[in-house]
Amino acid sequence: MANKYVIRFSKTGYVKYTSHLDLLRMFKRAFKKAELGLAYSQGFNPHPKMGFAQPLSLGYAGRNELIEFETDRPHQTAEILRAMQGKMPQGIEISACYELPPEVKSLAAAADSAEYRIWILTDKSELQLQEDLKKYLLQDEILAMKRMKKTKKEEPVNIKNMIRRVEISKAGDFAVLEALLDCGSQSNCSPELVIASFCAFAQISTPRNMIEVERRNINFVNKLQF
Amino acid sequence: MNMKEMNTQYQLDTLLKRVEKPGRYIGGELFSAQKDLRQIEARFAFAFPDLYEIGMSYLGLQILYHQLNKHENIYCERVFAPAGDMEALMRAEQVPLMTLETKTPLTEMDFVGFTLQYEMSFTTILNMLDLAGIPVHAQERGENFPLVIAGGPCSFNPEPLADFVDLFLVGDGEKALPELVQKYIECKKKDITTKEAFLKEACKQDGVYVPRFYAPVYAEDGTIKELCKLYEAAPLPVRRAILPEIESVDFPVEPIIPIVEAVHDRSVVETFRGCTRGCRFCQAGMIYRPVRERSKDKIMQLAEAQLKNTGNDELSLLSLSTSDHSCFEALTMELIDYTKRENVSLSLPSLRIDKFAFDVLNRIQEYKKSGLTYAPEAGTQRLRDVINKGVTEADIYQSIEQALELGWKHIKLYFMIGLPTETYADLDGIVEIAKNIRELNYKINGPKSGRFSLTVSVSNFVPKAHTPFQWMAQDTPEMFEEKHNYLAERLKKLKGVSFNYHDNKTSVYEAVFARGDRRCGKLLYEAFRAGCRLDGWTEYFNRQGWETAFTKSGIDVNFYTTRQRSYDEILPWDIIDSGITKNFLKREAEKALAAQTTRDCRYGCVGCGMNQRVVCPMEGIYGK
Repeated sequence: MANKYVIRFSKTGYVKYTSHLDLLRMFKRAFKKAELGLAYSQGFNPHPKMGFAQPLSLGYAGRNELIEFETDRPHQTAEILRAMQGKMPQGIEISACYELPPEVKSLAAAADSAEYRIWILTDKSELQLQEDLKKYLLQDEILAMKRMKKTKKEEPVNIKNMIRRVEISKAGDFAVLEALLDCGSQSNCSPELVIASFCAFAQISTPRNMIEVERRNINFVNKLQF
Repeated sequence: MNMKEMNTQYQLDTLLKRVEKPGRYIGGELFSAQKDLRQIEARFAFAFPDLYEIGMSYLGLQILYHQLNKHENIYCERVFAPAGDMEALMRAEQVPLMTLETKTPLTEMDFVGFTLQYEMSFTTILNMLDLAGIPVHAQERGENFPLVIAGGPCSFNPEPLADFVDLFLVGDGEKALPELVQKYIECKKKDITTKEAFLKEACKQDGVYVPRFYAPVYAEDGTIKELCKLYEAAPLPVRRAILPEIESVDFPVEPIIPIVEAVHDRSVVETFRGCTRGCRFCQAGMIYRPVRERSKDKIMQLAEAQLKNTGNDELSLLSLSTSDHSCFEALTMELIDYTKRENVSLSLPSLRIDKFAFDVLNRIQEYKKSGLTYAPEAGTQRLRDVINKGVTEADIYQSIEQALELGWKHIKLYFMIGLPTETYADLDGIVEIAKNIRELNYKINGPKSGRFSLTVSVSNFVPKAHTPFQWMAQDTPEMFEEKHNYLAERLKKLKGVSFNYHDNKTSVYEAVFARGDRRCGKLLYEAFRAGCRLDGWTEYFNRQGWETAFTKSGIDVNFYTTRQRSYDEILPWDIIDSGITKNFLKREAEKALAAQTTRDCRYGCVGCGMNQRVVCPMEGIYGK
């Protein structure tokens, strides 16, 4: 037995303002309290074998987030689910637990795409927005400014092939973008790039703090589903 | 939820996207209190005048939060000082300061209660009130604003805050604070609804000081001529609230678990309150008497429950002097066994460094020997006797020698400078100790002990109220600087020795408030108006603002800092009766000047006056 498990949870409300690292710390604490016997890496500075399928940016809500972890002994998934209840801060709801299929090395490596819902405060009409989006997608290149890891400089990158699907509608005062974007180690498109490039293209000047993002789902290669 | 509330919350949401560590402002942590507001009769905001990470490491908050929320009709929420970026946005977009739990503006609370941990947090209190839209001066707050109350060690000299605070609660808060809030609820039910009327009721309770019921009258030389009562039934002095024992007093085993990593993210159990050693500079050693212990079994039980509930991987004990617990050795052995089994690291602060301590440290730091910290406080035996620090030359060297033999490589020594009667010979003593320790290391580890480091850290002595040194003069900033230079020059010649010291200005400001009177409120107000807050943080410390405040308020710094008081002067904090008699403090001051020591009262009562009020459980226990 590999004793590898996946927990599905949501991160909504104010808790979306906790960082990836702080959330990881909270899970570590909860695993410890649940007495599941988290497995540790070997070596001089052992760390628990756990990690998110994909980190969620600070400020984003998440509907179906996933964390994988390994224990030093087998458990029933129902037992894990029960043991983990009531051990996380408000806004983190743990909804399911699965065994990680033995052929999957790690979730992080299997991530393929992610679905986002983005709310942008704007007075544009739905029709206008749909027109804008159509033209935006018809560009030969969709350029977005991205800060490069090595040089720390902002450089334009073409994200056209990373946007798999995007739709727009209007709900109240908000434009609602539904986007399916590349996500994972192969190709990764941050919604920030779509937001910035689309808003620039459509001449929407809504400040970033009036825009909400929620990750709806993470999809994996090989039809892996949680 | 009404529209107004929704609006504030939406506004908060838009601010949080633009600040660093927004997790500081969101609440919702595990074990934070969620209550049905319909059953609440009094709402209390526990206000910590510093950032979330600092406040959440403070055990007193966890204790009082737990004590208040045990009551079904009271809701205690928390509020911390926002960092600079958040404050700027709140001011620009007119978002008021809110509680973490329900995001309710402080104006809607019945009480806003500040904890006074250090003088340099005072400006932050004013700033927080202002951010909440609450007038900072008590006088300007009408009936519709919350009662602003305060407690904690600095309430033992409450006068600098007297203009801003409606009521101080001095002493142990576990029972006194819920009692006060319940009294408020009763008053409301009995139609005693004005603040004035409630305060008149409240001041009957031990530990309650209501500044508006008193007025100091000043003599021409600026000293206090008389303390007048403006309300006949108000007590003078106000007796500190004292718990006769803490064994049966509830201690939180489900502390709020901070979302943003706090300075100390660990389980803490208070083992005892008070100290019998009688170091003459130490305010905590005077104002928390007598020593009241939790039993070994109770401590074990609390530690186990807390670790289980929190999933913390570190446990620490809290007291003024860890080794002085009467069952310390047995307790430590049990804790070591338990924490080893549970994979929890144990930290034992302020250990008396003796043979047992080394055995213990050796066992709990098997792999990683962190630094060893030792506080001789003064450089010569004479000066250590003046301050009644019961440590001899032999103690110091024996301890350090043992530490070096056991493999500690990093040693940190703490000293104070500017202590009463200090001369340059005492500074030479500090250098001498550093030199000798270096030689000891050479002797033990040979010339190739490259990793050895010795840090000499000196802080500037600030005389505190309710201590034998409360009458003594503080050094001027120039004197401090000269002494720093003197030490720096000599210590830099010693290879492997580094030297740290504190900012002189901060020590002066701290000293003004530590022994300040009501007139210092003006200074505080001007400092706040000049933009001072979070003064304990170098990045926020606003020297220019303070300079302006001193000029504008016309406060004579030297009157408060470098002036030697006479024993018969009426002191601003005479209004508070800590339980220690003034006669005892005078006797101790005189003995200090004669470099005479006073024994630890476990060897026999030294007559501080405490046992006239409550039983001292430790009195004379070594003598019997």
